[in-house]
Amino acid sequence: MELARIEQLLETYFEGDTTLQEEATLRAYFSSAEVAPHLQQYQSLFASFAKAQAESFTREIVLPKENKIASRWWVGVAASLLVAVGVFGFFNQEPSLTTEEKEALAAFEQTREAFKMISQNFNEGAEELAYLQKFNETKNKILK
Amino acid sequence: MKQGEFLDTVLPFKDKLYRLARRILVSNDEAEDAVQEVYLKLWKNKQSIKKYKNPEAFAVTMTKNYCLDRLKSKQAGNLKIVHSNYAHSQNVAREIEANDGVALVFKIMETLPEQQKIVLQLRDVEQYEFSEIAQLLDSNETAVRVALSRARKTVREQLIQYNNYGIS
Repeated sequence: MELARIEQLLETYFEGDTTLQEEATLRAYFSSAEVAPHLQQYQSLFASFAKAQAESFTREIVLPKENKIASRWWVGVAASLLVAVGVFGFFNQEPSLTTEEKEALAAFEQTREAFKMISQNFNEGAEELAYLQKFNETKNKILK
Repeated sequence: MKQGEFLDTVLPFKDKLYRLARRILVSNDEAEDAVQEVYLKLWKNKQSIKKYKNPEAFAVTMTKNYCLDRLKSKQAGNLKIVHSNYAHSQNVAREIEANDGVALVFKIMETLPEQQKIVLQLRDVEQYEFSEIAQLLDSNETAVRVALSRARKTVREQLIQYNNYGIS
């Protein structure tokens, strides 16, 4: 590469008017061993660009677990469904009873059964009284 | 979009994002944090990343904005002193003991205004086209060229100043 061309490119370079290709030419020239003495001061400039380009990101990139995000929408749906079922159940549930109340209820049922039986028997007994009534009437007719 | 597919799309340019973050934030750790943060954001917006023709440009813009925000909040916070130190040291080249020319260039680059720093990074390190840079920075090609020219010239001046320091 002839020196005059490099000098001219360098001038354009500092004006910000070089193309990427021309800049590549400059980089190649300054990384070579035959840099003209008066241009050697620019060597470190292009060398540092090359060095900067070699820097790399070494840390591991941490992203949140995928499932967590993917499942987010249906978690919401599930939660609202659960709430709906809960509210529905709350308004429709049978009044719950404690064991004591259940025992009392059972006792009440039993007592009612018992009373029913008594009254049945009593009615059966009362039917027999019809004859007694007849007897009384007849007796009254005779012994007026 | 599955995580594997997502990573295949976005991981190829992680180094570019890191280098850009590094240029803006200077600190290695902060640059790594920034890249991690940008990837988290990209992952959250993974649905919209498909819509972009160029995910890389999208990620680069995101990184640039994130880093500039970080810088702003840093300046507003307790690191103000550090920054005003920079503002006062007009001639950084003379102050630093950089035997290594490369280290010197990096130091000079740190002192450039953010916008010039970004343009220089995207052009001279990542070799983006002017049209791409203009798009990334929401600017136009002329403005990019001007910023780039200023950045290159500043680096040159500081470099020459440093090199001549021993003589003059």
